[in-house]
Amino acid sequence: MVTTYLRRLYSSFAAHVFDIPPRMLALMLFLLLAFLPLIGLPSTIVTILTGANVLAIFAASWDLLVGRTGQISLGHAIFFGIGTYGTGLLFYHLGHPLWITIPLSLLIGVGASLLIGFPCLRVKGHYLALVTLAFPIILIGLILYFRAFTLGDFGIWNLPTYFPFLPYAVRETAEYYLTLFLLFVSAVTLYKVANSKTGIVFVSILDDELASKASGINVTTYKMMGFAISGFFATLAGSVNAHLIANGRVASIASLRISLSFFVIIYTIFGGIGTIYGPIVGVYILEILDKYVFTQVLSVPSSYRLLGYSVLVIAFIILWRGRGVARFVTDKLEDFEEARDIDERGPRIWKTYKKEGKKIGVIARMRARLKK
Amino acid sequence: MHLLEVENLTKRFGGLTAVNNVSFHVDEGEIVGIIGPNGAGKTTLFHLLSGFLKPDSGTMKFKGENIIGIAPHEIVNKGIARTFQVVRPFRHLPVIANVMVALCSPRGNRKIEWIKTIERKAMDMLENVGLTELMLEPAENIGHGDLKRLEMARALATEPDLLMLDEPFGGLNPLETDFLTKSIQRIHLDHPTRGIVIVEHKLYALMKIVKRVIVLHEGEKIAEGKPEEISKNKKVIEVYMGKAM
Repeated sequence: MVTTYLRRLYSSFAAHVFDIPPRMLALMLFLLLAFLPLIGLPSTIVTILTGANVLAIFAASWDLLVGRTGQISLGHAIFFGIGTYGTGLLFYHLGHPLWITIPLSLLIGVGASLLIGFPCLRVKGHYLALVTLAFPIILIGLILYFRAFTLGDFGIWNLPTYFPFLPYAVRETAEYYLTLFLLFVSAVTLYKVANSKTGIVFVSILDDELASKASGINVTTYKMMGFAISGFFATLAGSVNAHLIANGRVASIASLRISLSFFVIIYTIFGGIGTIYGPIVGVYILEILDKYVFTQVLSVPSSYRLLGYSVLVIAFIILWRGRGVARFVTDKLEDFEEARDIDERGPRIWKTYKKEGKKIGVIARMRARLKK
Repeated sequence: MHLLEVENLTKRFGGLTAVNNVSFHVDEGEIVGIIGPNGAGKTTLFHLLSGFLKPDSGTMKFKGENIIGIAPHEIVNKGIARTFQVVRPFRHLPVIANVMVALCSPRGNRKIEWIKTIERKAMDMLENVGLTELMLEPAENIGHGDLKRLEMARALATEPDLLMLDEPFGGLNPLETDFLTKSIQRIHLDHPTRGIVIVEHKLYALMKIVKRVIVLHEGEKIAEGKPEEISKNKKVIEVYMGKAM
């Protein structure tokens, strides 16, 4: 009985690669990121990249919920905040170490995402977006009201650090590797889920809910599943972020700010919505652009920074017709390799079949092409 | 026991009675046609049977089991699959994945198969309706006739005991109509116990397939019988062509 259940569970999420995942590209990106601190980068950049790792988990979780399931969430910061405050309050009131508080806050996050998902089943489209927008604002209100319990807008300071046994000089680098590892695990999991049986059903709900029902799909269950999975990873990002030195080891209402909910949308649209790997690329490009290039290299005044950033983002979104940088790059690589024969606006899913079931990585194909 | 038994089914929208006291039954292995002029309540009847609408009164029994008040997806999992009059494919998904969605439902996936097995099954289903060539094309790129066939493949993927087709010939050219007629006949031969209900306007195509016809007019059943009888029925001709002067 148990084995049947486990088999059912695993087969629901076992993935089969439909997309030409730029697997080689993704691996190269991770390797690059893994070697970056070794070449002696200044700690400011390591800090920026650590923050980007966490935001990438957050953006990818948003992409699974919105890009795949179609449940528009404008208040994804609620999960980030629940993660932050979950681990913060558990530490403050009970004094648990972080390896207890973080898993517990993940459980709280999944519970909360189911609670949030439940009223969201009643509304669709724009109304859903508005409902979700309200959640972080409600939580901010609650935190400010129950000041005695949550410390209000002062925030919970001096959360435990990850590597108290390491010397100060390498702690930030160690945290960078920790977040990178978590990003790797989260990205692979989310990508696998998005391309499993469950992932296909998610897209069918995005496309046509009524037709999904007519195909025998329990839409409610799958929507809740989408909320739970997305909420889990968003909470992970929030709770991991709270303990980072880069973040100042503080749980404050900044983790629930509206701009966080909106920036995750910008990263995802810029990177390529519905691809899972797109938002991750988007986060790195935009974070480095904003926090390193604009701030440190060009030293643009902060008021103009957001303007320049916005103009660039809008220009590139228009230039790539909303398909995002990730799809743009993979398309270019494919164009290089073969003449396209399907409508170029069509999704890049299930392209692998064109190769008679053989799955060849982009780089491998590029090499084959060069040999000719 | 009949496969599907409907008694005194009534549905009102405000002052309009869309389906009025309709009773009929479908037996195993039977192909039943439901015809009637525009606004006769055919599609409403379909929505009632598939659970998208709730009837105001009456009973519906499938294999002796009450199916009123049951969610649409549960009705599908009990064994009633339907297609839509206006096609509703999953436009972002490739053709093959459209079928795979239905194969992922509890009924389509009874043996808990891996995604690769499901994929192969979906390919077989597409071959049955002649869509192998378009397998990888996104559903938004393929033509109306192909979408109609895709809808049918998707409905068949759940291996229904009762298949309900809502205007399967709507908007098809004679060649496509012919192909679809043959596929329906083949489906019938492959699964002799499967009941099929077809709602249709194109009487010529319909009368060739069905064994029994039910005629609806303004929500009421006005005639029932073999196709030959129906085509001679005075009341039916009156409804379709108007009264003789």
